[in-house]
Amino acid sequence: MSTILKLFVFPASIILICYGALTVLGGHITPGGGFQGGAIMAAGLIFCLIVYGVERSPIKFSHNFMASIESIGALGYIFLGLAGLFASGFFLYNLGTDLYHIIPPVIQNIFDYPDPLHAGIIPYLNFVVGLKVLVGLSAVVITFLKSEKLLKDMESN
Amino acid sequence: MVYIGPLVLGFIMGFIVGTRIKPVLGSKLKFGASVYLVLAIVTVFLAYQQGPFPWYTDSVLANGLISAFAGVIIGKLTFGRG
Repeated sequence: MSTILKLFVFPASIILICYGALTVLGGHITPGGGFQGGAIMAAGLIFCLIVYGVERSPIKFSHNFMASIESIGALGYIFLGLAGLFASGFFLYNLGTDLYHIIPPVIQNIFDYPDPLHAGIIPYLNFVVGLKVLVGLSAVVITFLKSEKLLKDMESN
Repeated sequence: MVYIGPLVLGFIMGFIVGTRIKPVLGSKLKFGASVYLVLAIVTVFLAYQQGPFPWYTDSVLANGLISAFAGVIIGKLTFGRG
């Protein structure tokens, strides 16, 4: 790739990643949310991977990192669902808003999201889904970019 | 009063990505402090143009964008050095 692209892409990808985070944060009020924001953040990383290549990209996602973040995202989602199940009897019950008034205020305060809407667990679900989508889409692209090398290794063996 | 929710979650997301920004060995292309300074100015300008997203009234800036950028910088400075 050209030098101009190499100079431009890394700062642009940082801006894209921040914008993706902002999209995740507005998901309970505006269009957007975990998947869309995570996809925007992954686009920032993919931008770097395509221009610099997998080996020379300034933003590097290792296998262990991706596995950890993917697991944290999935387990966070399940934890929020099970918390609702154990506290109210409904899986993914929104403990922060408590529409049926069946949750003690202490638990409601724990899962409350501190903004004017008090959307409960919805922003937290967006957050964990955003993390999962970020590393999920990144993993697909990294696998594709490394596939040529993997195929060559397989053929040589 | 600034709402703490978007600040914290935005910071964590930025921090997670910031820890993965590593210098490339043998590369002639260096992104030093000046690049991050220009990026900070651009981010503040973007946040000002965006306004308090999404429909908050707590400040004139999009706090989530600022905190995500702060997370990237601090993640880079703490775990992304080597």
